[in-house]
Amino acid sequence: MMLFQMNNMINWMKHWKLFVRESRNDRGRKLTFHITYHKSYFSRFTSGVLLAIVLLSSCRKSLTVEQENKTIEEGYYHSAQRIQQAVIGGYVDMRRALLANYAWMMYGEARTGDLKVAVTYQQKVARQQLTDVDENLAQLSDWGYFYDVIKDANDVLDIVDNAAEDILSTYQKNTYRGEALALKSMSYFYLARIWGTVASAEKNNFGAHLTKEEVVKQAIVYATESKRLLPWMLLNDDGIESAALTAVRFNKTAVTSLLAQETLWIGNGQGAYDILTNTFTSNTADSLSAFGLAIGEDRRTEIPQAPLSASVLSMPLATFNAIYPDGDARRSGMFNISGNSATLIIPDASKVDLLKLQEISLLFAEAAWRSNHLNEAKEWLINASNGAIEDYSTLTDETFGDALLRERQRQLVGTGQRMFDLIRFDKVSTYIPAFTEADVAKGAAYWPLSASSLKGNGWSQNEYWK
Amino acid sequence: MRLLPKPAGKTIFFLLVTYSITISLWAQDSLRVDSMILSNRGGIENILQGNVAGLRVKSWSGTTGAQSTLNLRGLSLDPTDQSTMPLILINGIPMIANPSNITGINPLTYFSPEQIESIVVIKDIDRLAAFGVLAPNGAINIIMKEGKPGSIHVRANAYAGVNFLQNMDYKRDAFYNFNTTARREVYENGGMINDESLLVDGAGTYGSYLFGLSNHQDKGIINGSGFGRQNLFLNAKYNITDHFSAHFYNNMTLAKRNGRYAGEYDRDMTLPVVGSEEFFMDKNRNLGLMSSMGLTYLLNHGITLRSVAGLSYEGASRDLYVPSNLLDGNIYASSAAYKRQLLTWNTSANWLHEFSDVLKMDMTLGGEFRSIDDRLTSVNGKRSFENGGSNFVKVVTGYNANQTIALSNHNIEKLLSFYGNWNFKYKNDLNLNLVVRADGSSLYDRKWTLYPALGAHYDLKNSLSIPVKIKAGIGKTGVLNRPEVYRGQLDAYGDYYGGNYLGIGGLYPAFSGAKSIDVTQIDAGLTIVLGSTLNISVEYFNKNYSDFIYQRYQPNISGIDYKYETGGKLRLSGVEITLDGNWIHSTHFSWSSNLNIAFYQSKVKSLPGDIENTSLSHLDAFTNAPVTSIVAWQGSIEKKIGNNAPKAFGGLSNTLRYRNISAAFIFTYAWGADIATESFNSRYDAQSINYDFPVKSAETPYYFIDKSTDGRTIYQGIRTIEDGSFVRLSRASVSWHFNGISKKVEALSDLEIFVRGDNLLTLSRYSGINPEENITGIRRYDLMYTGTPLPTSVALGIKVVF
Repeated sequence: MMLFQMNNMINWMKHWKLFVRESRNDRGRKLTFHITYHKSYFSRFTSGVLLAIVLLSSCRKSLTVEQENKTIEEGYYHSAQRIQQAVIGGYVDMRRALLANYAWMMYGEARTGDLKVAVTYQQKVARQQLTDVDENLAQLSDWGYFYDVIKDANDVLDIVDNAAEDILSTYQKNTYRGEALALKSMSYFYLARIWGTVASAEKNNFGAHLTKEEVVKQAIVYATESKRLLPWMLLNDDGIESAALTAVRFNKTAVTSLLAQETLWIGNGQGAYDILTNTFTSNTADSLSAFGLAIGEDRRTEIPQAPLSASVLSMPLATFNAIYPDGDARRSGMFNISGNSATLIIPDASKVDLLKLQEISLLFAEAAWRSNHLNEAKEWLINASNGAIEDYSTLTDETFGDALLRERQRQLVGTGQRMFDLIRFDKVSTYIPAFTEADVAKGAAYWPLSASSLKGNGWSQNEYWK
Repeated sequence: MRLLPKPAGKTIFFLLVTYSITISLWAQDSLRVDSMILSNRGGIENILQGNVAGLRVKSWSGTTGAQSTLNLRGLSLDPTDQSTMPLILINGIPMIANPSNITGINPLTYFSPEQIESIVVIKDIDRLAAFGVLAPNGAINIIMKEGKPGSIHVRANAYAGVNFLQNMDYKRDAFYNFNTTARREVYENGGMINDESLLVDGAGTYGSYLFGLSNHQDKGIINGSGFGRQNLFLNAKYNITDHFSAHFYNNMTLAKRNGRYAGEYDRDMTLPVVGSEEFFMDKNRNLGLMSSMGLTYLLNHGITLRSVAGLSYEGASRDLYVPSNLLDGNIYASSAAYKRQLLTWNTSANWLHEFSDVLKMDMTLGGEFRSIDDRLTSVNGKRSFENGGSNFVKVVTGYNANQTIALSNHNIEKLLSFYGNWNFKYKNDLNLNLVVRADGSSLYDRKWTLYPALGAHYDLKNSLSIPVKIKAGIGKTGVLNRPEVYRGQLDAYGDYYGGNYLGIGGLYPAFSGAKSIDVTQIDAGLTIVLGSTLNISVEYFNKNYSDFIYQRYQPNISGIDYKYETGGKLRLSGVEITLDGNWIHSTHFSWSSNLNIAFYQSKVKSLPGDIENTSLSHLDAFTNAPVTSIVAWQGSIEKKIGNNAPKAFGGLSNTLRYRNISAAFIFTYAWGADIATESFNSRYDAQSINYDFPVKSAETPYYFIDKSTDGRTIYQGIRTIEDGSFVRLSRASVSWHFNGISKKVEALSDLEIFVRGDNLLTLSRYSGINPEENITGIRRYDLMYTGTPLPTSVALGIKVVF
């Protein structure tokens, strides 16, 4: 509206000048008359315009109402605490993506049949009937929640970049950026592992179809940058290092593990080995922290209130005995056995572990093995597998993979990675009898896409799920 | 300063002020309330029922204190939306007229009909555009009585009567064979109605005054429930000087409605709902206030300055407690308060100018400020049965703050308007109205919208000697598009890390293109005046609505669910025919009639592209179909199975007088509306029937798709599709004026006794109790938007004027 008034004013000014120029050609007397007329006209006009500007701008102001029951983005992020809320928004969305319908289990151990989840639709997941008509399965095959996390992360990056200079300390700026990048990297990585080929949600190539390698490579870029920015330990609101806080937010340990996983996923063993050995040194041993998602209330969707409540995750005794043979010390440490079932012990039900500390040794073992450091790999595996009855010192290049896969299955149970491991180790048809190798080649290991995920993107179901 | 001006000056002043009011009443339906058949039910809208062509007043519920739905050439995308309600004005000042969803008490019950002088129904665009974005659905201006010349007059009016249900069949009402025993106990014939009012008024050189009070009580037919209101009012004008006068209007009302569990609550409630309601509580309490103060200053040269400030306020509160014997071991308690306030301030300058003897102009320029502030707070909680103690003890211990859900909601809106009205009158033949109004709303980024209109009215009597009047008009009004979305919104996602950290993010992005819905209207009319016997009037209108705000669902890789857009076009057109007959008019006998009928047609002209991905997706099957279509699924195909709007509706009234006895009755009717009744037996969780609706032999093959509260998809079968046509004897009255006594007693100017009835007879093939009982044309499974049985009421009353 201001612009409109300025234009009007300029038009009137032009008009005034023109009138005076024409008048000069006229006789003197008339000229005087005209100039006098215009002076008074101009002063009336000026005061009129000024009055109109004042009136209408005050109208505009009085017609702008601050609604008390809603919050608008404009002007909201004016403090570090509020910017942190946007960062937390990313974690809450990640939690929704992984916990609604026990998704992290359904994409992982519940699908491979390792763990049973005490909900009816898990039977369909374990039987690989993923396209059955079921509202829970429809939500599980929808990738929207992961893209919500990516949107949150991109928003945080924008907010941090645009924040006024004195709002964020360097620590806060780096941490928030690092967390956003890590969340984004993790989301893309989940997307690639669950659906294979996925869409980019970045501004520069929004909607582009990315192959499973391209997605993970993009995720690696974000994780690498995040690793540079994130501290080992996070500070709480009082500025004190907090182990509890660090355990539920991204930190350097967690993002390095994530980066190593991603690097191994694209088959770059040497790269993963370099990342791990350069980052985790004897100096950093005291600063390591696992990463999980803190349980809390989601205000938009039905997440089970206590996803890790006792007896939700269990194994039939036969499966349990097959995975953890008699004599394995971890049988009683990790499970409560009663009747025909073994229930997973959850040491801390207030968070869902995604990147456990034990995994670092297993990642070292895998990276060393895949980069031709077999002896070192064996050392890491033996070191990680305390309580196992197998003798891992005799492993060869050929047998190492199976042993590592088994140890990952045993130790990382409950983190939702089993199915992804089978894909990465190319063992899907071995452990999931429902699928032949031909099925896997068609894309059986990945999830089908829900109708709403297929819509409007030019996507079609992969060959197996068509 | 002389406070009391000369009588002559005051008379001129009075005439000039009333002139502009007369002008504004011209060419509209103006109804003098004292000569109408009043209603025993509270709610001013009930006395309008059947009286004005095109004004539909639907008596959908027998619950006392409920508002009948009002529609005056109104259209909305949402059939349950109150946005089709006309603008209601009290002496030209807007009031909060729709019931709050907390108490459901009708604000149009806050006045006694005895207070009202006349009601003006405004439909023509060259009048409506003056209200801009406020009156897309017409306007109803209620003009209150003022003091009449004389030092003092006293008017007293009282009536008392009963409500009863005619031939109530418990298997036929909306509950349909549900909880019949309880309803037999609850629907009690003989609920009393009583009403009393007293008005005192007078006028003189100082101005005029009128004050009074009234009481209305209606026990309805649901035992233990009932509605009541009391109000005090004042309407005074004071001539401060020859040129300067002040006008005060005030009406304050206390209204209450008590609810009942059995018979009023929906079918989803836990059975058994038979039980002692000794400890049940549903108390609705409202405070309604309408207040205005106006100053009028008469300048020279026919210029009048006027400034009026108005306040409309409603405070509504509801306290509900359901004891454990009714809820199968649980108790439930809630308390809610909803405060709504509307502040208006209108300042204008009016210039009456005579260019010559034949050409006159009435011009008004003005500005109006309007501010809305609505606040809702509520808490509710449920607790399971506790051992020991009586129900009363549970009242005390059961209300546990830890288990309550709290809600707080606010809405603030502002509207600033500037307007100009020009009325040119050439001889007595031609009237030309030009209106321009600009409305600036707080709801949008681009705040201002212009509403122009032009209308011409021509009387052919003088120039062509034909007893015909013609009129035509074109112009624009608007509908405020709510909510405010132009600045986007952040949303709380959830708690994290021990609940200490709140995660937030964008709910939807800013949408700067938000604007009002445009309503372009064309009117045309023809009136034939056949002497003093018959008036035939035919009116046509066509309204086009465009640019609705809706949500566009985003592809799920966007990370946001939706953004806002505007689009879509609807059309409503109709023909309204009115016959006014003044058949006999002699000293001893007179007979006059009014017949009105309206034929309306609505149509969805266009919908946004890719409609399935919008919040208007339910309209997918509606293109080129009536907006009021009932659409359901048959197998996997969506079909139009009916239309909830009637093809035609109207009223027929007759007034007869023989000596000092007068009688009047009014029929209302509608035909061609369909009613789909949802089945109470075929309702399925869609997944459990594998998304394949099983058709029952005694029911239709159609079903609706609903969402349950926990987000599950529900297939709801439709039992029947019925014809909702009806003819109803809506109101009738017989009155006897005691002329002899009033002649003998000098102080007594009128004494009248009357018998009056409401909803006396309904002829319809509809299987339920009341063919108008379903607001959306669908008798829903849970009985939402379905009213309780409508009772008949008969009352005997007396009116005395001193």
